[in-house]
Amino acid sequence: MNDKKEHKQAGRREFIQTGIRWTLGVSLAGVATAAALKVSADDFVWQLDPFKCVYCGRCADYCVMTPSAVKCVHAYDLCGYCDLCGGYLKPDANALSTAAENQLCPTSAIRRKFVEDPYFEYEIDEDLCFGCAKCVEGCTSFGNGSLHLQVRHDLCVNCNECSIARVCPSDAFERVPANNPYKIKGDFSVGTDESNPA
Amino acid sequence: MVGLVALIGVLSFVFWLTKDPTNNLEASLPGEDNREAGNLIEEIIRIGENFNLFDNEAPEMEGTWPQFRGENFDNIASEKQNLKDSWSADEPEILWSVELGEGHAGPAIYKGKVYVLDYDEETREDALRCFSFANGKEIWRRSYGVHVKRNHGMSRTVPTVTEDYVVTIGPRCHVMCVARETGDFIWGIDMVKDYGTTLPQWYTAQCPLVDGDKVILAPGGSTIMMAVDIHSGEILWERPNEMQWKMSHSSIVPMNFNGRKMYVYSADGGVCGIAADGEDEGEVLWQSNAWNHSVVAPSPVIIDGGRIFLTAGYGAGGMMIRLNPQGEKFDVEVITEYKPKDGLACEQQTPVVWDGHLFGILPKDGGANRNQLVCVHPDDVQTFVWTSGKDSRFGLGPYIIADEKMYILDDDGTLTMIKPDKNRYIQLAQKKILDGHDAWGPLAIADDRLLMRDSKTMVCLDIGE
Repeated sequence: MNDKKEHKQAGRREFIQTGIRWTLGVSLAGVATAAALKVSADDFVWQLDPFKCVYCGRCADYCVMTPSAVKCVHAYDLCGYCDLCGGYLKPDANALSTAAENQLCPTSAIRRKFVEDPYFEYEIDEDLCFGCAKCVEGCTSFGNGSLHLQVRHDLCVNCNECSIARVCPSDAFERVPANNPYKIKGDFSVGTDESNPA
Repeated sequence: MVGLVALIGVLSFVFWLTKDPTNNLEASLPGEDNREAGNLIEEIIRIGENFNLFDNEAPEMEGTWPQFRGENFDNIASEKQNLKDSWSADEPEILWSVELGEGHAGPAIYKGKVYVLDYDEETREDALRCFSFANGKEIWRRSYGVHVKRNHGMSRTVPTVTEDYVVTIGPRCHVMCVARETGDFIWGIDMVKDYGTTLPQWYTAQCPLVDGDKVILAPGGSTIMMAVDIHSGEILWERPNEMQWKMSHSSIVPMNFNGRKMYVYSADGGVCGIAADGEDEGEVLWQSNAWNHSVVAPSPVIIDGGRIFLTAGYGAGGMMIRLNPQGEKFDVEVITEYKPKDGLACEQQTPVVWDGHLFGILPKDGGANRNQLVCVHPDDVQTFVWTSGKDSRFGLGPYIIADEKMYILDDDGTLTMIKPDKNRYIQLAQKKILDGHDAWGPLAIADDRLLMRDSKTMVCLDIGE
């Protein structure tokens, strides 16, 4: 009698455990499939073409995210590593130093580090950057254009109708494949195929 | 209920009052980049120490382009040229080409020889290279070791050539004088060592001015301007830099006004005129810090009526000043000053005066007309007589006029020929000549030939009929 009861209990336990495993397995597979389908070649996300960007500053103002999901990124292979950096320093700055009054960025989101005479490296603190593009204008006007804007997809909520795209004066915003979501300047190894810019 | 709301309100107010929203802010202070001052090791530089003679000859030719911006400092060929108005598919022909160190140094031409102050990246030398204008073969090379790191190119000046001498200024402000024919070293000056010159950003682009037997230099540092005997290297006079201006990329330009000859220099910090002759030679005739910008590359443009047009990049824009005689000296009157989007402005190249008008290419921050060739009248440099249009934009490259044609070199090595006209933009021909980038070095024309370069290669074009 007891043996029969124990056998029944063991069978029930095994059934429940197996059921839970299958449920978890199917769920995980479902989630994975859903994620894979979500980021498939057929999906598109918003990105801006840095070669069309006219650094108007609207990326900072019109994004539904606060601060904007558009951030400055730096193409190090394009950068001249100049002491007098048009993206870091205000025009006719009093001194080529890190003092606040000489910096172009309103939030000091660009870190400047001495490498060796006469080179300086510039790094973006994305937590401070809000996509105003002042540095992009300075870098593009007076330098190699290595500082440029990109929509960061860990922040972008991929609105059906991007509120920045609606007001972008140069039509720089476009839909790009979700599995290739960035248009980074300076990555010349990829080639110039516009459908696969980065 | 009311009491509860009031309590929440009071607590919220206290919270708001006590919370400092600037708690997390960090002050941006000087020195956070950990900048270190200059080179830690003082380099021993022996100007003109090395010489190489090659087994080549240079056939004698007639033409000259003896210095930066030509014989008259106006970037217009002063000698008669007979140049084509159009190019066929295989024109203009490249007669020869030579590989150079990375940079923007321009050539000078003198009677069949071409002189370029190159930077040899392998031997790490400033190298004054003498080529045959006929075939591009190297005749001799006078050089000296100096460590120049790549910083938007290395070389960037044009030698000044006379019948007997060639005078150069290297990227790190080393002045060298050699015999024109043989390349024999005559004398040298280290402006950083001797005068405390602060190297301009990306090295100096100042080209030496030779006025008769005098070499005129603007070191900045302890001396704003000085004259050197070209034969011996003896210092003739020095004008102390009481204004504490720094050396710019601009070159000294001679000017005659109101019976006075003077040397005009646009420094980082201001602009001045130094007496070029008379008992007060070497004295400051006028100066102004109204034109005060940190990067000045174009040279002053002398306009009639004692006017001088000044322009620079990096947001500076343009300024027209007028000298008003005041006894033996001059007062400086600022006629107009504006930002680059509001009138003629140039970042690297110096505007050209042609038929009473100024021609120049606007910088990238020049507003809607950015990168266009524009024409203005000196009386109103903020109103464009014409612009080349949005389909005809150019870069930071040079432009030159000869035989009523203007040649414009774009950054990517595309050469455009236009007819300079004060009424409209007239394009005659355009062709991609070079494959490199940053084709910014000054052009030179002589004997119906054009010398041009990108960052690595110089070519000689046959542009004659």
